[in-house]
Amino acid sequence: MRGNLLYLDKESSLHQLHPLSKLAFTFFFLICAAALPGLDWLLAAYFFLLLPLAGWGQVTAPFLRSSWAVITPFVISLSLIQGFFTGGETVLFSLGRFAFTFEGWLAGLTVAARILVALGGALLLTLTTRPDALMQALTQRGLPNSLAYIVLSSIQIFPRFQDRAQLILQAQQARGLETGGNLVRRLKLLVPLSGPLILSSIVDVEERAMALEARGFSRPGRKTSLLVLRDSQAQRLLRFVLLLLGLGLITLRVWTLFQ
Amino acid sequence: MISLQDFSYRYPGQQHFALQQLNLEIKAGQFCGFIGANGAGKSTLCYALSGFAPHFFRGEVRGRAWLGKKNISDLSLADLAGEVGLVFQNAFNQISGARFTVRGEIAFGLENLGLARRRIVTRVDEVLALMDLADLADRSPYELSGGQQQRVAIASILAMQPKVLVLDEPVSQLDPHGTQAVFKIIEMISQRGDTTVVLVEHKLEWLAAYADRVIVLDHGRLVMDGTARAVLASADLVKLGIGRTLYSEAADLARNKKLVSAPSHLPVTLNQAQALFQ
Amino acid sequence: MKVKVERVSFVYHSGVRALDSIDLAISSGETVAIVGENGAGKTTLVKLINGLLRPTAGRVWVGNWDTKDFTTAQLATRVGFLFQNPDEQLFERSVEREVAFGPRNLGFSEAKVKAKTRRALQQVGLLDKAQVNPYDMQPFERKLLALASTLAMDTPVLVFDEPSIGQDAAGRRRIQRILAGLHKLDRTLLLISHDLDFCAQVATRAVVMAGGRLLADGPISKVFSQTELLAQAAVSPPQMVRLAQRLKLPGAPLTPRQFVHTYSAWRNRRKRT
Repeated sequence: MRGNLLYLDKESSLHQLHPLSKLAFTFFFLICAAALPGLDWLLAAYFFLLLPLAGWGQVTAPFLRSSWAVITPFVISLSLIQGFFTGGETVLFSLGRFAFTFEGWLAGLTVAARILVALGGALLLTLTTRPDALMQALTQRGLPNSLAYIVLSSIQIFPRFQDRAQLILQAQQARGLETGGNLVRRLKLLVPLSGPLILSSIVDVEERAMALEARGFSRPGRKTSLLVLRDSQAQRLLRFVLLLLGLGLITLRVWTLFQ
Repeated sequence: MISLQDFSYRYPGQQHFALQQLNLEIKAGQFCGFIGANGAGKSTLCYALSGFAPHFFRGEVRGRAWLGKKNISDLSLADLAGEVGLVFQNAFNQISGARFTVRGEIAFGLENLGLARRRIVTRVDEVLALMDLADLADRSPYELSGGQQQRVAIASILAMQPKVLVLDEPVSQLDPHGTQAVFKIIEMISQRGDTTVVLVEHKLEWLAAYADRVIVLDHGRLVMDGTARAVLASADLVKLGIGRTLYSEAADLARNKKLVSAPSHLPVTLNQAQALFQ
Repeated sequence: MKVKVERVSFVYHSGVRALDSIDLAISSGETVAIVGENGAGKTTLVKLINGLLRPTAGRVWVGNWDTKDFTTAQLATRVGFLFQNPDEQLFERSVEREVAFGPRNLGFSEAKVKAKTRRALQQVGLLDKAQVNPYDMQPFERKLLALASTLAMDTPVLVFDEPSIGQDAAGRRRIQRILAGLHKLDRTLLLISHDLDFCAQVATRAVVMAGGRLLADGPISKVFSQTELLAQAAVSPPQMVRLAQRLKLPGAPLTPRQFVHTYSAWRNRRKRT
């Protein structure tokens, strides 16, 4: 199935969960990321909740790789920015008149941890859920078919844009277009490079719309599906519990903020 | 099965009519080829038969187009999907992008038609076997070659079991491998006899092998309509910008030099040419 | 202008070896047909000539230029390239501006650009559509437009990648006439095509590729008559060759005229025995 999906096909229980259950987890972790009070809580959520879930989904290694690949630049930049520019008492070292404080650094790390937890929730979903299964679960709950189509087709077609952009670059170079040079020269490249991309894509969109019509996409009435999504009472309960927990966390956070 | 009565069509914003007063009737199960110079209106005719003209392109229609007893102008594109299937040149653009496997892609049309899941599974498996796509069933359609993608496109339409299958130059952009594979499928579909096939094609020797009947378009008008053998060997094809097969040309030259006896129809295919020259 | 491919190999980033130690020497003014199935390396080979790809090993010479010393845009002054899909190049709002793009990039004076543009449009038969928007034209016309853009650059070497796809009989004849005309002007032409009958009308030399190697390289009538070799490369022989072989005629006629000639000679010989 590859294509360019992040989804990894495994036989885990997490994979077998209904897409909405996994989506519920994502939202729950998003709330955790926003509402948990400190670095310790956030790291606990990552290591004691997210990581075990990733393990349950047999995607531990890719999960770790992707989270740290994304979060590392944030850790570095936030540490530096907050470390130097957020006030604090304990100075770790100084550069000129700029003092790097422990409290500042902690603040930076906390923001990075929030991103990590939110990201973790999204990664868990993407790694274990087929996009078409997710879209199907949503359309069954009322998401417009056209919106679902836009999401799914964008995932598959966007990489082709990149391929085509490369071909266009080659074609225009073969017509004597010099690439590189100063900013003005590079700006001039915009039209001959993006022009064919946009115009040919418009032609393609028209043909694809015809193909969709030929497959009855605009037919009113219920659509059936090849894919079977298994739900259960237990999962519905789980989603409800997660919803309550999420609301609870938000309430708690808001309440402590006003203390 | 499908017929046009004094049918004319004009694209929006254009002065001239792309199709002018066409009268034709294609019976169920027939294999009808359309030929003509570029710009003669072959694609437009495909659109007229499948309802895209006028329902997709808007524009002006005069005369009538019938699918069985129903007027095509009264049916929507959604109604026509599953009745008349259209396959066009660009294989890539016919992949919907909504599904991630070949199997899913083929099922897509059936899902839209609201078929019960069990029937979808059966039909998809049937079509995969028929089109020799079974070992590609779990691959992403975007990883396939042009010829394979075109086969998936045809499979996706065929799974909907249309009464009429219209193919607009399906192999123009394919290499010889892909062309062979697609023509084999078209041949098989026509031999099964349950689908009316309309094929627009430049390669005359292919039409000669499979078509019962060939219609010639010129500047939006129907100028010739007859058996494949008669039409494809006609000398008028050269004047109409369509040309002849090299076999016909060789036979014509040989006939003028009195090297072969004058045949009733010039040969169009390799086999026919061999028979003449032997 | 000559083109020389000297012991060239090419390996893609993915590790796929697309070309394996190719040697090809093309003299000035030759028209060479390059045939083979998809994946044989034809497009990879010709992209080395205008610098879109650089050889992993070996050297490519265009005239006295070693391609590795020049950018693609610089090589474009010597090598014109017609890509298979015209929609990957077209962006201007009129046919005329589109065709003028190439020569203008090459630095010709405005007067020369205008003249070359007109001439190219005339050759492809689009002069009366000079102010039309390319996307208001049909695909086969856009293909001719792309051809005009390449012709307008007026280069000594030209590469054509599947020029006859999507054209009707009139379009094919027109393109054949253009190629013949270029040959008369002593241009060096490389032609990639699946259509051996088309090649037979314009090329004098043919190269057969398979699996990144050259299987054959020689005069076109000799190469196109070697059916076992062509089969190895998954290419079908020209129609007249197939007919001649069915009838067990000696010789390898490529066109109907040549066929009838061969046939008549064979019949005469048989009459005498």
